[in-house]
Amino acid sequence: MTADQQRRVRDLFEQAVDRDAADAAAWVRAAAADDPAVRDEVLALLSHHSRAGEFLSHPIVDRMPSLLDDEPYAAGASIGTYTIEREVGRGGMGRVYRARDDRLGRTVALKVLAPALVGNPAQRERLRREARAAAALTHPGICIVYALEEIDGELAIASEFVDGVTLRDEIATRLDRASAALPTARELAAALASAHARGIIHRDLKPENVMRTVDGRLKILDFGLARIAQPGDAELRAAALTRTGVLLGTPAYMAPEQLRHEQVDARADVFAFGVLMYEYACGEHPLRAARPNAIGGPLGDVIARCMREVPAERYANAAEIVDALDRAAPTPVSAGWFHTHQIVVIGLYLAAAILAWQIKERRETPVTLALFLALGAVAAVGGVLRGHLAFTARLNRPRLAAERRRTTPATRLVDWLAGAMLFVDGALIAPVRALPAVFAFALAVGIVLAALVLEPATTAAAFGEER
Amino acid sequence: MSADDPQLDAQALAPLVYHELRRLAGAYMRRERPGQTLQATALVHEAYLRLADAGTPWHDQRHFIGIAARSMRQILVERARARGAQKRWAALDRVTLTDALAVAAHEDAMLPALDEAMQRLETVDAELARIVDLRFFAGLSIEETADAMALSPATVKRRWALARAWLHRELGGAA
Repeated sequence: MTADQQRRVRDLFEQAVDRDAADAAAWVRAAAADDPAVRDEVLALLSHHSRAGEFLSHPIVDRMPSLLDDEPYAAGASIGTYTIEREVGRGGMGRVYRARDDRLGRTVALKVLAPALVGNPAQRERLRREARAAAALTHPGICIVYALEEIDGELAIASEFVDGVTLRDEIATRLDRASAALPTARELAAALASAHARGIIHRDLKPENVMRTVDGRLKILDFGLARIAQPGDAELRAAALTRTGVLLGTPAYMAPEQLRHEQVDARADVFAFGVLMYEYACGEHPLRAARPNAIGGPLGDVIARCMREVPAERYANAAEIVDALDRAAPTPVSAGWFHTHQIVVIGLYLAAAILAWQIKERRETPVTLALFLALGAVAAVGGVLRGHLAFTARLNRPRLAAERRRTTPATRLVDWLAGAMLFVDGALIAPVRALPAVFAFALAVGIVLAALVLEPATTAAAFGEER
Repeated sequence: MSADDPQLDAQALAPLVYHELRRLAGAYMRRERPGQTLQATALVHEAYLRLADAGTPWHDQRHFIGIAARSMRQILVERARARGAQKRWAALDRVTLTDALAVAAHEDAMLPALDEAMQRLETVDAELARIVDLRFFAGLSIEETADAMALSPATVKRRWALARAWLHRELGGAA
């Protein structure tokens, strides 16, 4: 059919469409009597018109609002070698799923990036670079990036699945934040410092991006990824920032120079750290807070310096924050007493086991034998736990608070058991020999008193008022 | 803005067209689905980045709206495709299909087939295809479409009817 014929079809259709059906057909037959091809085409189209019903009559997005969402993978769906378990979050960067890596059988967090972010090759390349840099971070306080996957034209980042709550949740719910603020700041700054030492900047540090795992440690998520979430055009970026803050980052935590789209360095993270810790300690964002610096104390001073408007007045990087916090709370010296305490109690356990052996040698009965074996076992368990605490106090100070919380029920039980068994052992040997009995009673009292009196003191010295 | 001002290159137009795209997305949002504003904005971003990347030389806002609606079509079709639309579409027999078209069921399954038909329609009558992009994919009303295409609402209404009839046949609906 020629272009002229097409135009004639259109004109005839438009003139016929408002007539009623039978009338229209007769009219078309008359009007296009000279060209059967045109006539048949118009009649066919009129027939389709009368039968089209609701066809295309409502915008597709009204019919299928889910098309506005980008790629909601359902549970059980496969993306490459990953099987989706459930969606755990979404943001401007895309959706995050809890998924299973079928190759290794491990659970991962799979962040499927929004198509808008990975549409052009330059952005994909930038994402690859950032993921590579983030994958180099192996600090326990930073969520590990496993892989950058390209599946059917989509980009997804597979990383460690962190089970826990975000600091945003803690700000909303946790009651004893004031006492937890200092150790939280210390742990967060230490993790951030390890990235800064490698020249990697987070760029979007905020309470939503920091999680506390179920066993109490902090993990920073999404390192360096904020950078790729910014389209190249400055004006568009500015528009996006003011209109849809969620989409391209979080202005509420951004340093002034970052908001102005200037070159940023570790000091932008230092600023965000300050805002985050302020909010954590007070429960309120500093811009909304009633008083300019409601925290006070050494932590308040550190936070205030982090939030200086001029970058040069802030700490140069997170390592300097760590130093400042350590000066503010002189933990290393006090943790030394905690460390010594653990070593001494290990010595007491050892003495208890040896004493029980000697008592069994002097008076061998099923009970003394059983007590020797039990004390040996209890001393071994207690020794391992306290040895672990001693090493943590020396080598991994930020983890100490969490490890102590974890082991305290066990060490307490060990102490009471050891004390009780030594007492029974002493009572059994007393009729035979006085000296071992005296040793046993003394050791029993010593272990129990160390647990009741000394340990709270050395713990308080190591952690301040925090329990 | 004049339709043939050579001074306005794509970059200078970017903020304007971004605004225009948002107006397009606004057509979705006016239907008041709470919670979807962000998604609609993300869709606009996606469309914008595609346009910027393709370096499509648009010369005025009206022209731009046409291309933007077309790129929205591509995005929506791809999303439907990713969800296995073709498989579900192929599973419909002819009778079911005619009924489905008439009651607009399985519309997302239809999208890839519709997109192919649209590509044929573009070669036959590009104007009709643009009307479909604006009405069906970008969600503009008759009046908004008329405004964007510099046609009268009555003309848009009649050509929209023609486009629907044409596509109905292409998709295999019984006459």
